[in-house]
Amino acid sequence: MSDKNDMDYDVMVVGAGTAGMEASLSLGDMGYNVLLVEKDPSIGGRTILLSKVFPTLDCASCISTPKMAQSLHHPNITLMTYSEVDAVTKNADGTFHVNMHKKPTYVDQTTCTGCGQCESVCTVPIPDEYNYNMIARRAAHIPFPQAIPKKAVISRSAQPPCTHTCPAGVKPSGFVSLVRAGKYEEGFKLHLADAPLVGSLSRACYAPCEGECTRDEMEGSVNIRAIKRFMVDWYYDRHPEPDYGPVETQLDSKVAIIGSGPGGLTAAFHLAKQGHQVTVYEAEPQAGGMLRHGMPAYRMPKSLLDRDIKNITALGVEIKTNTTVESISSLKEAGYDAVFVGVGNQNPRIIPITGNDLTDMTDCMNFLRETNVGEELPDIEDKDFVVLGGGNVALDVARAAVRMGTKSVSIVCLEEQDKMPALDFEVREALEEGITIYAGVSTKRIFKDESGKSKLEVLKVDKIDFDENGRMTGFSTAEGTEQQIDADVVVMAVGLSPSTIPFEDELALNGNKTIPVNAQTLQTADPMVFAGGDAVLGPSIIVEAMGQGRKAAFYIDRMLKGESLEVGFETELEMADKDEIVSCSSKCSTVAPTALRELEPHKRIQSFEAYEETMTESEARDSANRCLGCGDCSQCRECVNVCPGDCINFDMSPDNLEMTVGSVIISTGYEILDPAGKELMGYGKYPNVISGPQMDRLLAPTRPYNGVLRPSDGKEPESIAIVLCNGSRDHTVCNPLCCRIGCMYSAKHAQLVMGALPMADVTIYYIDFRAFGKGYDEFYEQSKGMGVEYTKGKVARIDEIEGGNLKLHYEDMEGEGGLKEAEHDMVVLTVGFLPNLESLKIFKGSELEADEFAYIKEPDATSEPGRTNIEGLFAAGTVIGARDIPDTVLHACASSAQAAGYVQKMRKA
Amino acid sequence: MSTTKRDMREVMRDEMIMRDRILAILKEENKTVPEIAEAIGVPEYETVYWMMAMRRYGMVEEVGRPDIDGYFKYEFREQEEEGHE
Repeated sequence: MSDKNDMDYDVMVVGAGTAGMEASLSLGDMGYNVLLVEKDPSIGGRTILLSKVFPTLDCASCISTPKMAQSLHHPNITLMTYSEVDAVTKNADGTFHVNMHKKPTYVDQTTCTGCGQCESVCTVPIPDEYNYNMIARRAAHIPFPQAIPKKAVISRSAQPPCTHTCPAGVKPSGFVSLVRAGKYEEGFKLHLADAPLVGSLSRACYAPCEGECTRDEMEGSVNIRAIKRFMVDWYYDRHPEPDYGPVETQLDSKVAIIGSGPGGLTAAFHLAKQGHQVTVYEAEPQAGGMLRHGMPAYRMPKSLLDRDIKNITALGVEIKTNTTVESISSLKEAGYDAVFVGVGNQNPRIIPITGNDLTDMTDCMNFLRETNVGEELPDIEDKDFVVLGGGNVALDVARAAVRMGTKSVSIVCLEEQDKMPALDFEVREALEEGITIYAGVSTKRIFKDESGKSKLEVLKVDKIDFDENGRMTGFSTAEGTEQQIDADVVVMAVGLSPSTIPFEDELALNGNKTIPVNAQTLQTADPMVFAGGDAVLGPSIIVEAMGQGRKAAFYIDRMLKGESLEVGFETELEMADKDEIVSCSSKCSTVAPTALRELEPHKRIQSFEAYEETMTESEARDSANRCLGCGDCSQCRECVNVCPGDCINFDMSPDNLEMTVGSVIISTGYEILDPAGKELMGYGKYPNVISGPQMDRLLAPTRPYNGVLRPSDGKEPESIAIVLCNGSRDHTVCNPLCCRIGCMYSAKHAQLVMGALPMADVTIYYIDFRAFGKGYDEFYEQSKGMGVEYTKGKVARIDEIEGGNLKLHYEDMEGEGGLKEAEHDMVVLTVGFLPNLESLKIFKGSELEADEFAYIKEPDATSEPGRTNIEGLFAAGTVIGARDIPDTVLHACASSAQAAGYVQKMRKA
Repeated sequence: MSTTKRDMREVMRDEMIMRDRILAILKEENKTVPEIAEAIGVPEYETVYWMMAMRRYGMVEEVGRPDIDGYFKYEFREQEEEGHE
């Protein structure tokens, strides 16, 4: 049908539980085109999760799965799972306009075979809602064994803040999750896939990820960098050489990289992985850029850098050291198809100081180069050593100097100490190492005193001016505040500028000598030249430079393959809401970050050896286990590695849809009351107090445990109490309604338990027992006949006693009456139904009326079942009130008939 | 007697570090949940979470019928792909 009025579907059914499936099948059989929408990954609703149904004790799966399969395969039914209806409005012609979205599953549903390999390797355990949280599932999961469609889905609600923050595209959430699971090699390889200088980052990264870690809002961030250090050390100990070589498919395209710093090496790595022939040009004798020449060995061990560089050269990348590139054109002439300029930021800024010839003066890069790669260390023993500048480079210079036997080391900077550009921990550690900081002062002159000793005279700064970007534009000093500092050696570390001068004409540099690029692609004005790192950004941190190298490689690769550059680099989810995660983690244990073992300051300044120890294996795993798992999926990509069909796709995004339908049936079901709200009953507090739906799962063939076992200790219970009416007919939770099924499903539980545990005693505590349907009373009598004990009594409180057993305090409503106590070793709380308030929000424009109990209102339930106050919009099943399965099926059939009538009437209008 | 229960998600996350310890114990000898919990010094109800998840994903398996006290013993189940060291 649906060829009139331009309808996409005759009827849309929202919710594919028992009622939704029944209504859809009825309409489909009548020849109507039906769209069946389900928010979960599988259809079947709550019925498919049951053990058996009363009073027939038929297997719930046997009842549901044929309906589920029919719903999937019916020629007139289009099934959309993992989809949500956002809004339904009514059109003037009586049809309905629908806005909805299909949620990303991150698994290609057309190729997934439901093999389950992804979930077997997934490293993220989360509560399994399909087993009412009695067991963990994995972020990658198939909802349950009978799921239809039986396809995997990855729970991924948001990007973990650490991963969202890393400029290099590293996934800390992923490798932390892998380390927690003991998968160190996999963790290393996950990191390597994004950023090859894993070891260098484990030592020298300033770890912006830790600054964004949600756990930092609690007791302190997860020690992500230290975990990485453990992972790298573990891997490199076992793999002194990379275990891979050049990629099999080598392309003819040639790429030149100028500069072997973090940006250049990262670009080379990613380009070589795509099969391009990559040559890196480095003016210095050794590769590594600032990692090699700018960072002291106590922070960046050079042997570790050498091993990192092997990760790149193993792919066939050639690094030509001692080779200065004079011009871009020379590379073009040499036959290169693309160039990446990653020359870094190594030109020291020099400020004029009166008397600078009266002391031994040098710049920071000269000093650090001599320190890090020179044949001999600078001769500064017993000298008074002064560094000008307050940034991280100045701190590196000072902290290196203090390790060379200086008499004193001083830092002189314009900013006050708390405003120094250097990171706080660098300043703290410098002070610990005996370095004096003269903060908030400016240099005036250098002079020699009467004894011939060189002195630096400084003045107090009284005002610093900044521009709108926070950059200093000027300052003034206070006369009369002069102070003299002994200064045999002065090293200037007041800023670095990009080493881009050779390309000034070819790349039309910015005023600050950075290279102008397209912000998205990093392409320069010359289409075959890309640039990144400090040469574009100015002073940046290692991961920023690596991120730019990775991004440039992506676009260079596209350009060389003749693909458009008008595409986004990476699809990223929004960052997880940290406040929400913290509030959900309020019951988490307080676990402080692992204290890192460091040498005491007086010992560490004796050498250039690293002073921070690597974590032990158990420390690393325990530290990783502090991760709160923001956004569920950690992106460890283990599923990607094992999926035989290459079905995993993290680039999926929500698919927004709009359509027109002739009629709508809402069959979104009910909510189950959370018995934790009735605190005296002990649910959520005592492990052996469980809910009715949980008992159904324990009794189901696809049960979470190997039988009916106590959650407290895995013991088969010998004495089980079933307590009726928890949250139904109960004004304390504002629910005066009878749930209509509790009595009967408790009798079912009792019978099934007696079948599963023949020696167990089962007692049902009830107020009154309602067995109103066909065969119900017989079912009740059958349970009594099997030996189930029925005690008329209202349970007021449950306490836990020795061994996890439970003491029930109840009012005996028969026999002698009065307050009594009984001991059981497991209690099942039969819980009430609640209305699904979300069902009322689907229709926009005018109000979808609710009854006094907040269920969708049926204005005339007797003669027009399923009709609501909105003509053409119907409700089916428990969305209009509690009912059992037969009544739900009956009501769904009635609603489908109503919807069919409405569509027919509209066609004839 | 009341148990201060930890956050369920936190307990479940612990499975990833506890399972190696549990498997190491079960490689030596089949044990019940209380015996495993005692061996590694953790609450029994938390051990149930881990054991049942490990059972679900094929790492452990119950052996025969429960003992006289109602407890199953569980055994280590060989995996095709094991963790590292």
